[in-house]
Amino acid sequence: MTKVLKINKSTEQGILDLLKFLLEKGKVKGIFTLKKINKDGSVAYSLIAKPDELKYAVPFYPLMPVNAGKLLSRFSLKGSSSKPVAAVVRPCELRGFIELVKREQGSLENIFFISSTCGGVYPIDKSVDGTVEKNLSKYWDAVKKGELPAELRPACRSCEEFIPYAADMTVDLIGNNIDKQCMIFLNTKNGEELTKGMDGELLEKEINKEKIDKFRSKRGAEKKKLFDELDVKMDGMDGLIKIFGKCIGCHGCMRVCPICYCKLCEFESPDSEYKPSNYESDLKKRGGLRVPPGTIYFQLGRLSHISISCVSCGACDDVCPVDIPVAMIFKKVGESVQKMFDYIPGKDVEEDIPLVTFEKEEFAEVEE
Amino acid sequence: MSKLKDNLKSKGAVISAKTGTKESIIDFLKKAMDKGVFDAVLIPMRVPAGDSFAYVLIKDKSLLKDSFPLPPVMSVQGAKAVSSLTRLGKGNMKIATVMRPCETRATIELTKLGQTNLENITLISMDCPGVLPISDFLDDPNKGMKLFNDAAKKWDDEIMRPVCQICDKSSMVAGDIHIGTLGAKKDTFFIISNSQKGNDALEKLDIKLKENIDSWQAKIKDISEEKQKKRKKAHNDLKSEIGGLDNLLDTFSRCINCHNCMKVCPICYCRLCYFDSDKVKHPSEDYLQRAESKGSIRFLPDTLLFQTGRMMHMSHSCVSCGACEDACPVSIPVAQIFSMIADETQGLFDYVSGRDIEEPLPLVAYKEEELHEMEDAND
Repeated sequence: MTKVLKINKSTEQGILDLLKFLLEKGKVKGIFTLKKINKDGSVAYSLIAKPDELKYAVPFYPLMPVNAGKLLSRFSLKGSSSKPVAAVVRPCELRGFIELVKREQGSLENIFFISSTCGGVYPIDKSVDGTVEKNLSKYWDAVKKGELPAELRPACRSCEEFIPYAADMTVDLIGNNIDKQCMIFLNTKNGEELTKGMDGELLEKEINKEKIDKFRSKRGAEKKKLFDELDVKMDGMDGLIKIFGKCIGCHGCMRVCPICYCKLCEFESPDSEYKPSNYESDLKKRGGLRVPPGTIYFQLGRLSHISISCVSCGACDDVCPVDIPVAMIFKKVGESVQKMFDYIPGKDVEEDIPLVTFEKEEFAEVEE
Repeated sequence: MSKLKDNLKSKGAVISAKTGTKESIIDFLKKAMDKGVFDAVLIPMRVPAGDSFAYVLIKDKSLLKDSFPLPPVMSVQGAKAVSSLTRLGKGNMKIATVMRPCETRATIELTKLGQTNLENITLISMDCPGVLPISDFLDDPNKGMKLFNDAAKKWDDEIMRPVCQICDKSSMVAGDIHIGTLGAKKDTFFIISNSQKGNDALEKLDIKLKENIDSWQAKIKDISEEKQKKRKKAHNDLKSEIGGLDNLLDTFSRCINCHNCMKVCPICYCRLCYFDSDKVKHPSEDYLQRAESKGSIRFLPDTLLFQTGRMMHMSHSCVSCGACEDACPVSIPVAQIFSMIADETQGLFDYVSGRDIEEPLPLVAYKEEELHEMEDAND
């Protein structure tokens, strides 16, 4: 059983009260959360230090402008946080951050994680045309009933990892009566310490397995559908050429990826540059060459570099200017690679990344 | 514009295009390859799935028939392709590039910035009706193709990208050879040379530059003047919309820092941008202090610093090609904003990006009277 803080207010209000409590009591010095930042209602991650500013906070707004794992990495890249802060993040963002920490691109120290059972988010362009704002009540209705909200990103529609692994607190959203109550699962000692003194009932509970399983099977069915569609398209090299042919080489997918942290990507380095002599020798083999070269090579290379750690957050899909289903391709390949090593990226910071560790029996395999 | 006019030769050649303009341009290129004027041609082609276009360096002449001298979208800015081909040296092949005027101009800017080597390159440009926003085209490529062809025929810019609608340099001759379709009699087009290299190439092809091109010049003058008016108006409207720090912050508030605009920009060639470098990565105390003093900060902070910084770094060379706007995932009108700033910064120096390869970049050249200005300022 897990300790649960039950606040008899809407979840929206309950979580804002919690954040306010944390700041006012000095339990943390800053809060990372989504916030409305201008009069048009643009939503962006913010670091909030004064309780007053929380009135613009929208912690579980169904949008991921940036994978927060990337932001927390930037925050703690030059050393662990100098003061305690709380971060309200989605399960895949937390997993993304943990993968980055494993790669020494950040530190978990002094950061407390408030996450939730996640209903998913809308594509970023839906925030620009006003769809997200318009659909908010429909979204929360669906989440409350444990249904899949319509029009979400493919990566979210097919996500089965919607329960956070390493959060100090998990706010229960899916299938919960969020209009009336705020249920905060206190998963760690830190979670319990932080909420000590907060108004509310302390219970012992588990997240309702039945409703979670039901939700997961809906997501699973959606995933199967999306994977099947992809299977038809991703048929061999010809399929890849067709899918990635319209790639414009902006590398936006890489830049927003929480796993791709390299300051200089191999595929943007001098090593990947073609010399005139390379073009000339390639042109001896073929009548024509795409310029700049390496479109598929980049995608396959990135797949081989990051698929073991891909958390299927969907950020790549959001930024692709030519609507290549990058996220689903990476999810499909990611899952099969991760399965080989029985690895769930971002689940546990103590677990080594499979490709940098060796197990004894693997040596035997190599010998044979 | 007076310099531009000086640049233009007053005579050109009239080429018969009975089989269609596109086909005749391809014939011209084929002939040039046959005669060894060019060993290869860099030109857009449709990608295998048919849903977009890419630059292809063609050596096998038979592939030319599938090329698209004037595709309906700008998937990659051509200057980036030329830079990829020649940044590390001129190579042994004589290559003709077939690009839009803004791509040709960006190539010239990149040459001034040391990012291309044009020694073996012949730049061929064409009158440009604009391109569709890439997302509009991708919604339905076949329909997009048809819409584009119809609009291009009528020189109607309504469906083109906003920045194309206000382009007053869509026929600017900056490379070596220009193909003029405007003002030409039915089933013909003009060929105009703009350099010794252009002259030499055309001479080898027995193309004599003896004919009158007044009708082309008159037509492009009309279009350019009309577009200049449109451009001024659009920029004035934009200025009142985004002027002042608050409006500017609002305009860029939905920016997600993906830096796609920078990555696709033909002018932004730095391998590691300052705004991605260690200089913008701070210890957590710094962020916390800033949040403490302001109540809260956006994270990542400094979105506007990136945008204005990029403006400062490249606006004097910006060719208003619109690639940035195509690539922005949150539909910020980046290209329109940058085109407005570019007109102002280039105007200060009486400079037009990519107009003339001999014209030095304003920020790396000094004029004597500028030194006097500095002296005066010190008095």
